[in-house]
Amino acid sequence: MSIVELHNVRKAYDTKIAVHNLSFKIEPGSMFGLLGPNGSGKTSSIRMMIGITVPDSGTVTLFGQPFDRKNLIRVGYLPEERGLYKKMNVLDQLVFLGQLHGLDAATARKRSLIWCERMEITEAIPKKTEELSKGMQQKIQFIASLLHEPDLIIMDEPFSGLDPVNATLLQDTLVDLRKEGKAVLFSTHRMDQVEKLCDEIALIASGHLLLSGSMREVKSTYPRNRVQIAFEGSDAFLKHPAIAEGKNYNGLAEIKLAPSSDLGHAAQSILAEALSMARISRFEVMEPTLEEIFIERVRSHESAANFASRNGGNHAA
Amino acid sequence: MLHNTLLIARREYVERIRARSFIVMTILIPTLLGGVLWAVGLATGKSRSDVTIDIVTPAVGMADSQFGADLQSELATHKHPKITANVVAQPADGNRDKLDAQLKRGDIDGYLWVTPPSAGHTHIGFEWVPKSKSYLSAQNELADAIRIVLVRESLTHSGLGASDIAFVMSPIDLDSTQADKKDSADAAQASAYGLFFIMYFVILFYGMNVARSIIEEKTSRIFEVLLATIKPEEMMAGKVLGVGAVGLTQVAIWLLAATALSVFGLAQLGSDLSFKLPVSNMIYFVVFFLLGYILYSGLAAALGAMSNSEQELQQMNIFLMLPLIACNGVVFQVTSDPDGLLAKVFSFIPLCAPLIMYVRIAVHQPPWWEIAISIVGLVATILAVLWFAARIYRVGILMYGKKPNLPELLRWLKYS
Repeated sequence: MSIVELHNVRKAYDTKIAVHNLSFKIEPGSMFGLLGPNGSGKTSSIRMMIGITVPDSGTVTLFGQPFDRKNLIRVGYLPEERGLYKKMNVLDQLVFLGQLHGLDAATARKRSLIWCERMEITEAIPKKTEELSKGMQQKIQFIASLLHEPDLIIMDEPFSGLDPVNATLLQDTLVDLRKEGKAVLFSTHRMDQVEKLCDEIALIASGHLLLSGSMREVKSTYPRNRVQIAFEGSDAFLKHPAIAEGKNYNGLAEIKLAPSSDLGHAAQSILAEALSMARISRFEVMEPTLEEIFIERVRSHESAANFASRNGGNHAA
Repeated sequence: MLHNTLLIARREYVERIRARSFIVMTILIPTLLGGVLWAVGLATGKSRSDVTIDIVTPAVGMADSQFGADLQSELATHKHPKITANVVAQPADGNRDKLDAQLKRGDIDGYLWVTPPSAGHTHIGFEWVPKSKSYLSAQNELADAIRIVLVRESLTHSGLGASDIAFVMSPIDLDSTQADKKDSADAAQASAYGLFFIMYFVILFYGMNVARSIIEEKTSRIFEVLLATIKPEEMMAGKVLGVGAVGLTQVAIWLLAATALSVFGLAQLGSDLSFKLPVSNMIYFVVFFLLGYILYSGLAAALGAMSNSEQELQQMNIFLMLPLIACNGVVFQVTSDPDGLLAKVFSFIPLCAPLIMYVRIAVHQPPWWEIAISIVGLVATILAVLWFAARIYRVGILMYGKKPNLPELLRWLKYS
């Protein structure tokens, strides 16, 4: 049974179509990355999953049942635009939000205290929310979305504005929750985090689904044509004829190989040349990073869309 | 789900009751009003406490030496205010220094200097010297008492017997039932004004509060979290209920305090200023207050959802204020002519009905069917406003940046 399933979902606002026939599934115990540039329809899609808005057509299935508001208390949502009552005391606020998700006051209070300890913000408990730092407020919001032990956790840009220590704390918490069998949906444009954390991804741009599937599948459709070499010495090897594009970032060469029937051999010959002029501390052949895939797919989608719109008039005639 | 609405309402109520501004408002407003009343009371005479005066009669030369004693006993029968008089003999040299010193010390509140008729004057001369000019009611009582005493004396001189004089001077028995009615009409008018302004103020103030708190949630984006579990309608209903309960609490505190004060403390002020309110009137007040508040807070919720900031709300507030200001403009006309055309028209306009119909009821009970029409119209309007507000709210709360124009608003109404 999928936790969430979107089937041919479409949503149009006054001036533009926010989501075009979008379909994807999220399985229990998985981390799902919903990727896309700003304004691509990520938030619109999430809002339809949790009933803030209703799709114009298509269906949303939650926990194997057609969408029903009573299932929403099994969802935890961290919105991109954080919002807490500024004047409210932290504990009261957490208890209130917990109660809205169906907890009784005593349970909500008990769990809030446990979570504050786990998130290392016990000193914030008696304070008013407006007295806290931005990072602390974010942790409060994070706790608020998890108090009711949801089966589906939706995190819209959860790490933005957090320092590395706190980002890691949240990240590890989410990994633990996935181990417990919860499904986690990430919406972000930070590809490095997605690459590290997610098993499944869906990439959308201007409301269209560009690609989806498991991280392994997505990456394996791309050739292993990237080479990274960490070196000390001359970078003249970057002129090797098998290199389509090569950049030197302070002793880290990032190389894109020219199309070839034997990429492995090309990589070896570059390594041999590099060894002749520099000390090599690391050498790796790999698929393009998710970031590169993302940029490439979004660009080609945009140019195709521009092309289509430019030629649209001719087709109609 | 009722559960969610109540949770929202309770949060709203608890947070607001705890806020410093609530406590300040609850205490400050009646203090200010009470201060004004007290100042008015002070200006119109030192009426609340007893007044002590000296009647200074000449030792010789007075045709009837009984005068001082007669005036003293006559004053003893007067109650508003209670005047305690002592008869003192005039110093032979006519020196008033001792009296003036007593006046300054506050031993007496004033003295009446009596000059006997002399060659030039056929009448007795009276000179009233009060401590300050504020003893207006004492002065009136004094003048009354002097007249009565003088009339009685001249009747005695003309040879009338004591029993005849008592008969002539006995108070005229006005039809007291009519007098009572007049009294209570005045009191009803006064309390109607008072409650009109309380209702006016609370509806406006708490209606605005609903709008403001919606904008606050909109700018802080908290509603994104709330909307993930509850419906916009539940959110709006909770807000209106919670804020309304705060307003009702405040009014209840004021009314209870006013009743308590009028029972224990203000009784001294005399019956004119005491706070009288029949129970049926109280019930009408609560009914019309609730209906009026729900109507205006529903409108305010829609305005709040449409605005992006406090400034934008300020510009739209005029829609809320206009009908209330209109009520304010006609209320005096309505109290003086509660069954006139103007009063009738305004008590059937739903946006004015809560205030104007209530005032009509408080001053002079209109026919029951007029009250019924007014309430039915009001309830129908409330239902329409809530329907409209809920739709505006559910779309508006998710819109940022741009103020909607009229065609956009109409389109919002069609969204499911």
